[in-house]
Amino acid sequence: MAELTQTQELRENQDVLLEINNLTVVYKSDEEIVHAVNGISFQVGVKETIGLVGETGAGKTTTALSIMRLLPERTGFIEGGEILYNGMDLVTKPQNEMRMIRGSLISMIFQDPMTSLNPIMTVGDQIYESLEIHNTDNKTRQQLDERVNELLTLVGIQPRRKKEFPHQFSGGMKQRIVIAIALACEPQLLIADEPTTALDVTIQAQVLDLMRELKEKLDTSMIMITHDLGVVAETCDKVAIMYAGEIVERGSVEDIFEGKQHHPYTEGLFGAIPNLEEETDRLSPIDGLMPNPTDLPSGCKFHPRCKYCMDICREQVPPVYLEDGHMIACHLVVKED
Amino acid sequence: MSKYIFKRLLIVIPTMLAVILIVFLLMNLTPSDPASVILGPNATQEAKDKLNQEFGYDKPVLVRYFDYVVNLVQGDMGTTYTTSRSVFTEVTMRFPTTLKLAAIGITLAVVLGVPLGIVAAVKQYSIFDIIGTATSMFMASVPGFWLGLMLILLFALKLGILPSYGNATWVHYILPSVTLALPVAASILRMTRTTMLESIRQDFVRTARAKGQIERKVIFKHALHNALLPVVTVAGTEFGFLLGGAVVIEQVFSINGVGKLLLEGIRMKDVPLVTGCAVFICFLFMIVMLLVDILYAYIDPRIRDRYTRA
Ligand SMILES: Nc1ncnc2c1ncn2[C@@H]1O[C@H](COP(=O)(O)OP(=O)(O)OP(=O)(O)O)[C@@H](O)[C@H]1O
Ligand SMILES: [Mg+2]
Repeated sequence: MAELTQTQELRENQDVLLEINNLTVVYKSDEEIVHAVNGISFQVGVKETIGLVGETGAGKTTTALSIMRLLPERTGFIEGGEILYNGMDLVTKPQNEMRMIRGSLISMIFQDPMTSLNPIMTVGDQIYESLEIHNTDNKTRQQLDERVNELLTLVGIQPRRKKEFPHQFSGGMKQRIVIAIALACEPQLLIADEPTTALDVTIQAQVLDLMRELKEKLDTSMIMITHDLGVVAETCDKVAIMYAGEIVERGSVEDIFEGKQHHPYTEGLFGAIPNLEEETDRLSPIDGLMPNPTDLPSGCKFHPRCKYCMDICREQVPPVYLEDGHMIACHLVVKED
Repeated sequence: MSKYIFKRLLIVIPTMLAVILIVFLLMNLTPSDPASVILGPNATQEAKDKLNQEFGYDKPVLVRYFDYVVNLVQGDMGTTYTTSRSVFTEVTMRFPTTLKLAAIGITLAVVLGVPLGIVAAVKQYSIFDIIGTATSMFMASVPGFWLGLMLILLFALKLGILPSYGNATWVHYILPSVTLALPVAASILRMTRTTMLESIRQDFVRTARAKGQIERKVIFKHALHNALLPVVTVAGTEFGFLLGGAVVIEQVFSINGVGKLLLEGIRMKDVPLVTGCAVFICFLFMIVMLLVDILYAYIDPRIRDRYTRA
């Protein structure tokens, strides 16, 4: 336990790399407005890994795409809030400046490795492309080629296979190539959107190990989006639990796995809250469905599914309870205090 | 790859036999006979019978079919009934005109259709998209001869800046090839738009953007390259059709191409000429489609793999 508090202290003294304040994102179409992300805030410190956890449709990918400023052009809009990267606001950055940041300072690994690679370009060329785009110190073609080999070796693929096309690789190897692309320019922040969900269980572990190893080696901060509590326990320093576009609970891994108080949704996710050592792979299902993001419930958005639901939950947005960096947005927790 | 090409070439043979058979049967189904057409209504039955006998037209259709194939294998396409010239000479004499028309037509169509299709997709729902899509719908639905006539009316009669018929100089090719190109451009535009829209939404395009790639390269290097296959198919097929002679357009503009020759042959019930045209067109079409397939392999490594493994 002494060790835990020590690392926690260390972390709190760290510099903040990414700070998201009150981010609100909607998808607009002719018929409806989807409230995908509703005023979320969190921070990512240098070298830190934060886990973004939640059911499908919680707004995890939307959050990631907002940071990259890659929301679908005509439908996805950042309605409010700020995304401060090293103190500069990415929300107001023009696209041509954003382009210089993407791939060099912030990289993203997408959900499905099967479709993330261009099927008609050799994998070597696809890694090379990343390097070439951000080749600010005018390295020669040869030097870049050398670096491609290096990266392939780094992710455990023989460099001589760089002339091959994506369809000649297995799913796990494709994800390794995607990782090589993302890490090509040694970004400060890596956003991994369910990097292992599409992979076989046996390969998941390999890919996760690789990511952790590379992250250590390159001092990269990471946002790890996942459904898998096992992944969170293994890779993350901090966790944010998302529900219907909001963060309902946030804290260190220890807070989430071992803390005394929790948001009922988190409780539901874990079933009976396990401890860090115990194996809990999947999120346990909670009765009911995520509310329709075009028509969110009043008050606390979780109230229709909450087994502790009180009158006040239907009417008022829950206040934020905060203790030692452990945040919970719930009427219940506050009342108990 | 060469094994694949060889296999594909082998398929040409049965296809050709079938095409020739169909031509023979169809020509047989139509009323009248070559001699009646050539000698006119006033000729005696005796004279007609004699001429038909000379042509070998008195034999049953299947026997004629068989004879034709045997001769064809020996490189003899026969002589026409009407001009008594070698069918091969007749067709190859007309072919350069048709080829020129088809080549200009398809080039124009691609040059117009592909870029406009890209713009329509990239700027979906914009004014470019709406105008482009509407125009292409219109172009695809008006008949070619009407379009040809309208263009003649405007540029030849009203403005008087372009010749309306014949194929003496390159200027003569402008109106007919534009007439040919517009509907083809329309279908290429729509195909490009559809496949680009699909391609733009693919994950790997997002990956390219996530790398920080500039938008122009995202569109051309990643999205377009992956959208090309269906476009190549449409362009290739249309080119194959155009090579067969644009029967209607050649008629409208009085151009002595293969299409017009074929039509004359049908009118005169000139079986060797019609069959010769059909054989020639069919062969070219299959070659073009083979080239399209080879182009596929060049564009898409997955298809290349399939060919080399097969
Ligand atoms: N392009 C879009 N247009 C309209 N609505 C969208 C679009 N993309 C996502 N949404 C909606 O926004 C909400 C959040 O989606 P998002 O993809 O961020 O969820 P997620 O947490 O990543 O889910 P998953 O675990 O399934 O990946 C969902 O209700 C989804 O239907
Ligand atoms: Mg997602």
